[in-house]
Amino acid sequence: MSSNSVVELKGSMYTFLSLKLHSGDLSAVNEALAEKVQQAPGFFSNTPIVVDLTAIEDKPDVDAKGLLAAIRDHKLVPIVASVHNRDGDLARDIDLPLVEARDRNTGNDTKPAAQASKKTSTESAESASDPVFDDDVASGDQTQNTGASVDSSKESAETGDGAADNNAGSDADREQSATGSHSMDPIDLAMSGAEVEYVVKRPKLVTRPVRSGQQVYARDTDLVVLGQIGAGAEIIADNNIHVYGPLRGRALCGVTGNSEARIFCQSLEAELVSVAGNFKVLEEIPEHLHGKPAQIWFSDDKLHIEPL
Amino acid sequence: MTKTIVVTSGKGGVGKTTTSASIATGLASRGFKTVVIDFDVGLRNLDLIMGCERRVVYDLVNLVNQEASLHQTLIKDKRVENLYILPASQTRDKDALTIEGIARVMHKLKKSEFDYIICDSPAGIEKGAKMALYFADEAIITTNPEVSSVRDSDRILGILQSESRRAKMNDDPVKEHLLITRYNPGRVQEGQMLSVDDIVELLAIPLLGIIPESPTVLDSSNAGKPVILDQTSLAGQAYSDAIDRLLGESKPHRFMEIEKKGFLKRLFG
Repeated sequence: MSSNSVVELKGSMYTFLSLKLHSGDLSAVNEALAEKVQQAPGFFSNTPIVVDLTAIEDKPDVDAKGLLAAIRDHKLVPIVASVHNRDGDLARDIDLPLVEARDRNTGNDTKPAAQASKKTSTESAESASDPVFDDDVASGDQTQNTGASVDSSKESAETGDGAADNNAGSDADREQSATGSHSMDPIDLAMSGAEVEYVVKRPKLVTRPVRSGQQVYARDTDLVVLGQIGAGAEIIADNNIHVYGPLRGRALCGVTGNSEARIFCQSLEAELVSVAGNFKVLEEIPEHLHGKPAQIWFSDDKLHIEPL
Repeated sequence: MTKTIVVTSGKGGVGKTTTSASIATGLASRGFKTVVIDFDVGLRNLDLIMGCERRVVYDLVNLVNQEASLHQTLIKDKRVENLYILPASQTRDKDALTIEGIARVMHKLKKSEFDYIICDSPAGIEKGAKMALYFADEAIITTNPEVSSVRDSDRILGILQSESRRAKMNDDPVKEHLLITRYNPGRVQEGQMLSVDDIVELLAIPLLGIIPESPTVLDSSNAGKPVILDQTSLAGQAYSDAIDRLLGESKPHRFMEIEKKGFLKRLFG
């Protein structure tokens, strides 16, 4: 029996609820939590939570342990804390795994007050030993321009917000119906915001040909290649892949588990194409599509390859 | 300004040394002070093709290790003015080369006012090949009209654009030239070889020249005389065309069509 049939180690993406603390005041947080949980006690019971400490980590005299205890008292299960500074006092005080929030500009506090929009809804994490998620990844990974469950009203709200329209996804649907909250609240339990702010991560752009033996990886984002991908070259992206030259090498999209990622190419001659680990080799790609513009995506447990 | 050109391919036996010898000879015979360096330490061949194997005293490794001077090491060609050969060591291996050592050699050659430094790369993508291409300003990618050679060329192009000094220093990228060797239009027509168009499409770099398959190439190598010196042979003429293009002239490509047999040839086979 191979070890793989007993245990299987692989990177996967999960969606988590995130709890952003805007205040370090223990009693205020306690009160706000009680109010939130009371709205849907069943929903919050024993729910794993990503605790977003980025708004309060620089404040003095925050009782981190007390805050975590308060969260646990309300039957929420903190599994990881998101901070800007892993070496900060607050980060050192708590006994949770830490992840670094990469972009300081994505917090509510930096947004114009008039916008009244809320910080992102979802946190996603890899189950691998070194989790690499943070809040700005969350929206990027969970959402993409090709998502089947895009809600049109949501999309229009978003464009009005000035955010790019390529972010919408199935997880977003849930927040819509939930009740609103105000940014002055001591806490912000994500998935309860009325509006969702999306963070756009720039795609990785490659203007030269990718040669045999070379590997290009677009982490957390789209990959756009203008030149050709030589046989034996490998292009990898956490999100979509777009190739404008002939695609002769391997193309793997959604490698961290995003099965909604797609591959778009001008001339499909690929040795192998893969969406979230589901792959086909050239031999299995229908002959009439060889050398043609095509897109590859995954749905209903199947890899689809169709002309563009 | 000294220009450093690497002749490389990834795959072995495609004609790198033959090309290095002819390109260097061609440039020198047009008046440019040229040196051709054999980077294939341990498998020294260039001296044979250049016909100077009996005059090798010191070699590249001695020079790198500062055991001999540049003047002592360079072999002056007897046929062509301005042409020098820097042979490889046969008794050492590629580990004897270091970037710092090669850098010193390159610096000395530049100070000696060479116009062109031609680096004859060993096959493969290991240390020797990487050393040969590290200092290149331009690269002549030698490719045979067959799929494995084309793929290996693609591989070496990737290395050129990521591991050369120009790539590492974020300078202008190394200028790439495609040289197709052993081209046989008849076999292309029969589908046994890739066509020029196929290769250019696969590699997507500018075409420097097409060297037709010809028995004179082997004859010249055996005689220790670069084939470019034999201007009656088609391969020699093709190398001359390539030199013109390397120097910026635009010339139509020849040798892509099947040669029409003359009346006498048809009569006697």
